[in-house]
Amino acid sequence: MTVLEDASVPEVTRPSRELAPASLVDLLDRLLGTGVVVAGDVVVSLAGVDLVEVKLQVLISSVRAEMAEP
Amino acid sequence: MSQALRRTPNVGEVAGEPTDQDARYVYAVCRGLDAQALAGVAGLGAAPLDVVAHDELTAVVSTVSLTEFGEEPLRRNLEDLSWLEGVVGVHDQVIRAAAVAAPTAPLRLATICFDDDAVRARLREWYIPLMQALDRVEGCEEWSVKVLVPSMPAGSAASDHPVSGAEYLRLKKAASEGRATEAAAAQEKAMAVHDELSRRSVASRHLSLQDPRLSGHSGTMVLNGAYLVRAEDAETFAGRIGELAAQYPELLIDGRGPWPPYSFAMLDQR
Repeated sequence: MTVLEDASVPEVTRPSRELAPASLVDLLDRLLGTGVVVAGDVVVSLAGVDLVEVKLQVLISSVRAEMAEP
Repeated sequence: MSQALRRTPNVGEVAGEPTDQDARYVYAVCRGLDAQALAGVAGLGAAPLDVVAHDELTAVVSTVSLTEFGEEPLRRNLEDLSWLEGVVGVHDQVIRAAAVAAPTAPLRLATICFDDDAVRARLREWYIPLMQALDRVEGCEEWSVKVLVPSMPAGSAASDHPVSGAEYLRLKKAASEGRATEAAAAQEKAMAVHDELSRRSVASRHLSLQDPRLSGHSGTMVLNGAYLVRAEDAETFAGRIGELAAQYPELLIDGRGPWPPYSFAMLDQR
């Protein structure tokens, strides 16, 4: 779990570089809330905001437990 | 094969990589992707990545089991932080590999199609909006900039010495008004930061402010911005973040990137 650090100038690498990995929370912001949504015979695409909210409640408690560990 | 897909009896003849318990997890749709770019990158459960093409569009997929990714198991698994973290990590890794090689529209987490024909049908159906989304993100990367107000040390005001009830209420009101003024000022500065960064990006979005219990940040988040920036402008953009951080030392400005254009590849029609 990445935690926000102090204000920092991001390191910039050269073109033809790799893209940087993002933290779980930042990815969830993006992967659950946005992105291409396809419908039809897709089994599941997590468009359901309710589902996300329910899950985030669980996440919060899991993350808390995790952060309580040394 | 198609008989096994009880929910889509009309699916027709199928080339058939997946078995009846399998489906295709779709990570992203790219334009003109050389599949070689994905060499050495594994999909979920270490499954090999495949591509499904329609015209110049390429969906990046791998086979997953419906016992793990079917609707009901998925709901359960989403409650499992380590499962979620694993899937998000692989999803991101695959998308990053694709996005450095070709214009890439990332899909939401856990977009599952029954088989390759279903994937191809989506590519056909969403051809125009997909092309528009890819036009928007081509040559660009996403940057995240968050602005936080560090927490004030509590109880610094005159609360130690005894005061009259009226005096106490006056102080309390003043403190509360002070906080409101500070919050408004921080908000205004955050908007100034956002406006400045927006001017230097192709597109920008406000994401929901993050719950500190999830992100682990301290202080109050006043901006969770996403910025679509041309790859060649990355250095300038990052430099500007640094300048803004210096300009507003009272704020915590956290810039991250470059990332795949997660926040900017939405289809216009849903």
